[in-house]
Amino acid sequence: MALRLAPHRAFVGTAHVIGTMGLLASRIFSRVASLQFDRDELIRNLYRMGFQSMPIVIVTALFTGAIMVVQAAPLVNRLGAHGLLGWAAGFGTLREVAPLLTALMISGRVGANNTAELGTMVVTEQVDALRILAIDPISFLVAPRFVAITLTLFIATIFADVLALLGAAWMGDLLLGVAPATFYNGLTSGLLGVGDVTSGMLKSILFGGLIGLSSCQFGLSVTGGAPGVGRAVNATVVASATGVFVIDYFVSFTL
Amino acid sequence: MNAGPTPNNEAPFEAATPVGFIAEFGATAMALGRTARELYSLFVRTLYYSFRGKREPGAVVTYMFEIGNRSLFFITVVMGFIGMIMVYQGGAQTKRVLPDLTLLGANFIELLIRDFAASIGGLMLATRVGAGIAAEIGSMVVTEQIDALRMCAADPVDYLVKPRFLASIVMTAVLGIWSAAVAFLTGMATAFVWFDVSPRTFASLLLVDSVDLGTGLAKCIAYGAAIPIVSAHAGLSTFGGSEGVGTATTRAVVNSSLAVIVLNLIISAASFLLFG
Repeated sequence: MALRLAPHRAFVGTAHVIGTMGLLASRIFSRVASLQFDRDELIRNLYRMGFQSMPIVIVTALFTGAIMVVQAAPLVNRLGAHGLLGWAAGFGTLREVAPLLTALMISGRVGANNTAELGTMVVTEQVDALRILAIDPISFLVAPRFVAITLTLFIATIFADVLALLGAAWMGDLLLGVAPATFYNGLTSGLLGVGDVTSGMLKSILFGGLIGLSSCQFGLSVTGGAPGVGRAVNATVVASATGVFVIDYFVSFTL
Repeated sequence: MNAGPTPNNEAPFEAATPVGFIAEFGATAMALGRTARELYSLFVRTLYYSFRGKREPGAVVTYMFEIGNRSLFFITVVMGFIGMIMVYQGGAQTKRVLPDLTLLGANFIELLIRDFAASIGGLMLATRVGAGIAAEIGSMVVTEQIDALRMCAADPVDYLVKPRFLASIVMTAVLGIWSAAVAFLTGMATAFVWFDVSPRTFASLLLVDSVDLGTGLAKCIAYGAAIPIVSAHAGLSTFGGSEGVGTATTRAVVNSSLAVIVLNLIISAASFLLFG
């Protein structure tokens, strides 16, 4: 746990975590750049992390799109701005809500699971066994997972963009009587640009990298048996969630 | 408390035939129904013990510290950034359609109180608190401490779930209010620095009414009740050694986040339809 209440400990702990993550990142990038990672493991992980997370992504996106319209409803009624609903929902979804919420759900499902898996392997000394067999754990275990998580989040965000807008259009029709055609017009009337979409996509890639990196890092540095795995999972979800919001802030301000 | 394995956890690649697909779909639906029934039963038992159970002095306070104070730093960081992001994005977009930003603060505070403070705070607590509860209870299940409790005639629901449930309800409400305060302050600073909206104009409670306040608090309490129940259920249905604890933790995080999102939609829609 890096995040304690005592400020000096929190500071040193955070610096330690960021430093070790940087080292791990440089190792992963050197393997990925020279294509020294296990393709079969990558495909297996893509199936487990990506394909099997789709139900959660779909449910989350539909519900968040609907929630956004419910939240905007009093404002829309007050201003009589029914034609702008599509624009507002599109802007919020594409830039912030879809990448953020998808990252949080993927961090909960995939990131936590990844830490638990790697942590269990470390605790049961399977990673040491790999080293003995002259198999590089980074290129066999870590790099494929990192690539798989980043790709998963990127693709899931594209799905979430579309589905959240569908949920928003449906809720707008149901609650405010905004016809889907009006919603679509608001979405495409020129107030939204390609920049809004690419900003969300860029965020999703950064979030994916962060989740992949922190979940691998916390999983590999597990100490203290099975309770240690639980602590590491907890630390991963906390670090991923905090990091996602911090990155979001900086990307929002620079773009 | 036996939820069985999650049906599509390690689904084989060849499950793509139509019959296999339908079978998998049915299995998922049945597992969902079973989980819903178990959650309901756990909730009712927890409520029963909240009024009728043994009083263990200090237990609730311990968990209040564990759930509340330990999450304070995390919640403060996240909500601080959320306040800045929301005001910046909202202001930048509003400037494209409307020339004046005097109502930026009023609208932001209304949204914050009605939804974001409770919901983003709830999502954050769902990951941190949910993972903690499931990992604790799950490792107790794996090391057979739950069975030992049952042998001592102590119901694990009374002994483990109830104090966490009560502590979580109180601390989620407290942290919801704290989240609103933090996000409000950082939002005010952002509005002043980027859009020249003076803090006096920004801090306007013009649009906040009792419905907004009631909706926000109702959300806090609903999340506070749902998170420990869902996570404790995931923890209690752990199976398969230390690896199972990891799976249970994941399930707790995902399910309590989903619970927060679903409850958010239900409460928001109900409040909009009932009170406009």
